[in-house]
Amino acid sequence: MSQAHRRTVQDSRPRTPSVEADSGGEPSPGTPASGSTRYVVSHVSKAFNGAAVLHDVSAVFEPGQVHSLVGENGAGKSTLFKIMGGVYHPDAGELALGGERLSDLTPRSAMQKGVYLVPQEPTLMGHLSAAENLYVGTLPRRRLGFVVDWSRIHREAASYFERVGLDVDVETPARELSIAQQQLLECARALVHNCRVIMFDESTSPLTSHETEILFDLMRALRDEGLALGFISHRLDEVFEVSDHVTVLRDGRMVASAGRDEITRDELVTAMIGRPIGVRTRVRRTSDVTDRREVLRVDGLSSHSVFEDVSFSLTKHEVAGLAGLVGSGRTEIAETIFGLRRADAGEVFLEGEKLEHRTPRRCIDAGLIYLPEDRGRNGIFPDVDLTRNVTAGVIPGLPLRWGLISAAREEEEARESVARTSVRASSLGASINTLSGGNQQRAMFSRWLLAEPRVAIFDEPTRGVDIGAKDDIYDIISDLATSGLACLLISSDLEELALTCDRVLVIYEGRIVGEVRDEEVTTARLGELVVGGARP
Amino acid sequence: MSATIGVDRAPSVGASVRGLLRRAVRLREIQLLLAIAVVVALSAIAHPNFVSPGNISFMLADSVVTAVLATGQTIVVLAKGIDLSVAPILGIAAVVVGFPAQNHNLPILPAVGIVVVVGLVLGVGNGIFVSVSRIPPIIATLATLSVYGGLQFIIANGQEIVNIPNAYDALGNNDVVSGIPWILVIGVGIAVVVALFLRHTNLGRSIYAVGNNADAAHRSGIRVQRVIFLTYVLSGLLAGIAGLLYLCHTGSADSTTGTDSNVNLTSIAATLIGGTTLTGGRGGVVGSVIGAVFLSVALTAMVFARIPAIWEPAGVGLLILLAMVTDRHSSNLAARAHRHRQAGP
Repeated sequence: MSQAHRRTVQDSRPRTPSVEADSGGEPSPGTPASGSTRYVVSHVSKAFNGAAVLHDVSAVFEPGQVHSLVGENGAGKSTLFKIMGGVYHPDAGELALGGERLSDLTPRSAMQKGVYLVPQEPTLMGHLSAAENLYVGTLPRRRLGFVVDWSRIHREAASYFERVGLDVDVETPARELSIAQQQLLECARALVHNCRVIMFDESTSPLTSHETEILFDLMRALRDEGLALGFISHRLDEVFEVSDHVTVLRDGRMVASAGRDEITRDELVTAMIGRPIGVRTRVRRTSDVTDRREVLRVDGLSSHSVFEDVSFSLTKHEVAGLAGLVGSGRTEIAETIFGLRRADAGEVFLEGEKLEHRTPRRCIDAGLIYLPEDRGRNGIFPDVDLTRNVTAGVIPGLPLRWGLISAAREEEEARESVARTSVRASSLGASINTLSGGNQQRAMFSRWLLAEPRVAIFDEPTRGVDIGAKDDIYDIISDLATSGLACLLISSDLEELALTCDRVLVIYEGRIVGEVRDEEVTTARLGELVVGGARP
Repeated sequence: MSATIGVDRAPSVGASVRGLLRRAVRLREIQLLLAIAVVVALSAIAHPNFVSPGNISFMLADSVVTAVLATGQTIVVLAKGIDLSVAPILGIAAVVVGFPAQNHNLPILPAVGIVVVVGLVLGVGNGIFVSVSRIPPIIATLATLSVYGGLQFIIANGQEIVNIPNAYDALGNNDVVSGIPWILVIGVGIAVVVALFLRHTNLGRSIYAVGNNADAAHRSGIRVQRVIFLTYVLSGLLAGIAGLLYLCHTGSADSTTGTDSNVNLTSIAATLIGGTTLTGGRGGVVGSVIGAVFLSVALTAMVFARIPAIWEPAGVGLLILLAMVTDRHSSNLAARAHRHRQAGP
């Protein structure tokens, strides 16, 4: 916090109005960042509910560099950024900014020390003006300290907006800004608070390529001013375009870290996917099954600006995969088929019969089920016991006695269903919240098995479950397919797709860009396709 | 395999094992029964008359109107809503049958039909505003509280019902057998029907699911908005029936019946004290009925203790606060939220 440095920081920036002149000692925009801006992460570990997310990760974010983190979903990239930004506290390890150790960091204290995290989803206050969003929490006041100095806010905001290339009126409500503009506003907010380390968590995933270029230009300009930038992206092209340094995380561990020119694209993909392939044998192959009637046909399904002209079909006994990056439209396609979203065009046929006016109820009754990706939010009834969680999909079909649902026979159905998926619980009366993630997911499978589906869409069925439960879930899916069910498996885990699927459709930015089947289904091939189509 | 349920437990054992939810509710009910016992015991020591058969019968009969309202309120709250309009629905039902009963000797059976229709219609109104127009329930029913209250004024037109036919009075105040009033039997009957409805019917089960996780319910094929709509219809129906019971029990009704005695507050109080949570999906009518009895006992005890009646609303409010503070679930929620903040997802 030396005065000398404060001056150099100020001097190195284009002329922006100083906002610290008369704020009377209170924390305010313009409190300068400390000494050097080298952000050092050493030996950081973090676990959520006993599941390790980061294990002994070290990385250095140098001033004047863009440092990218790459890795599959769940590798721990966002968690690392959130720890650096004070959102989470590390279980072990240290953070240091310019030699000063950072402990008990909160998002607010991180910002005061000069670290800003641009989150995956911008968290602006939609009804406040763009200018007020810049200063919220530390609004500059007039001399006597009571009245907010709006004229100054608007004047200064305009100059920050110019600096980040945000061409909107400062009084525009933030909710009227596009996602790209909101990202730029977040950058401006970082600059207002004099941050010297800015981290972008998948900021480009909702942007068009043109918008991405604008953001990259700003990132390069900031880098050249000597800021340290962090960046997460799933698109390797982008990573190579903008980064100076790349660190690869896999299952919470750092597996590679190198300058951009020291690592090739292939090496990066290998490091990301990493695990020696072929250790586990493929769960099943259906080439020997003769009954391959078409059960589900999706024809020209489109949803404006989310996905377009999606057509495919599923046959009996088949496990088909749907691969794609987060944001590629995978889940939206599944939700549209299941009637949770409206399609702009296209049709869905189940065993040749068109499913009209699709709603979850109609789909379930017709024999189509969808296991959602976010079990906690869209799947479980947290306060309700296991029995009723399992029977929730078939309430209208529960066994009756004298017109009332028979508790004993309902429990009997639930019991049989949870036995099929080996749910481990103290009793059927246990609240589902007391079960582990893997057992909750098994219970979700039990719920949908009770509906006796003909087609099942499983969206990230092994997310947040431990290794053992993963294998069980693969077995369940495999058994279901053997018994005739047509399965569509959505997953970000390419190894999972390679292990369980007979063929895999690859989706990129809302379109099916490829299909691989049988022996071609390898993690390497899928890895290439999901990050931007086939390359020569 | 041995650790897998469904394999190592006989059905009879499983059937006797109740969920944590039900265990928690039962605990709440026991807490409440103990609280009632303490209030009764203390009052009896000071005033032996408190436990006279007459007073016990009076207190129970007096809780029936609140209990019936609270069963309806519970249905709504279980689906994460709230119904602030039960007071004027009760009032409208009471005056709509009260005047023809007083002036034209309307028989009791058609009166039942009329209050049922009145309750259903007014409940449908609430349901439309909440589940079709998607107005937040607290605002929608606050508005209909005023609308229905105004209707009640118009219908009563400044007149009062002071004299009801004998059949009504008998229903409201006579005993089936000595010490057990008709109104108590009716109240218990309604509570049993609603309790069975909530646990053992398609709609009842859907109500719990919607209150617990509306999104998961939708994805499980439950028509969420239809379920929410029906909770208001049922609440209206029960409020209408409560209106007739009120008329029979008190023998009077006028343009402010229901709203003046603040039955909105007491119905919500009984529901919350009974362990149903405003966050939805937890609780049940048994707790609410005991909550209504508890309110009646506590308020009667205040009278015996010579606390002036003007303290009654303050007493009800304090009991709600007390119930919230002692609610194990709400403290659990707070702890969970705290942990969540610390640990992340």
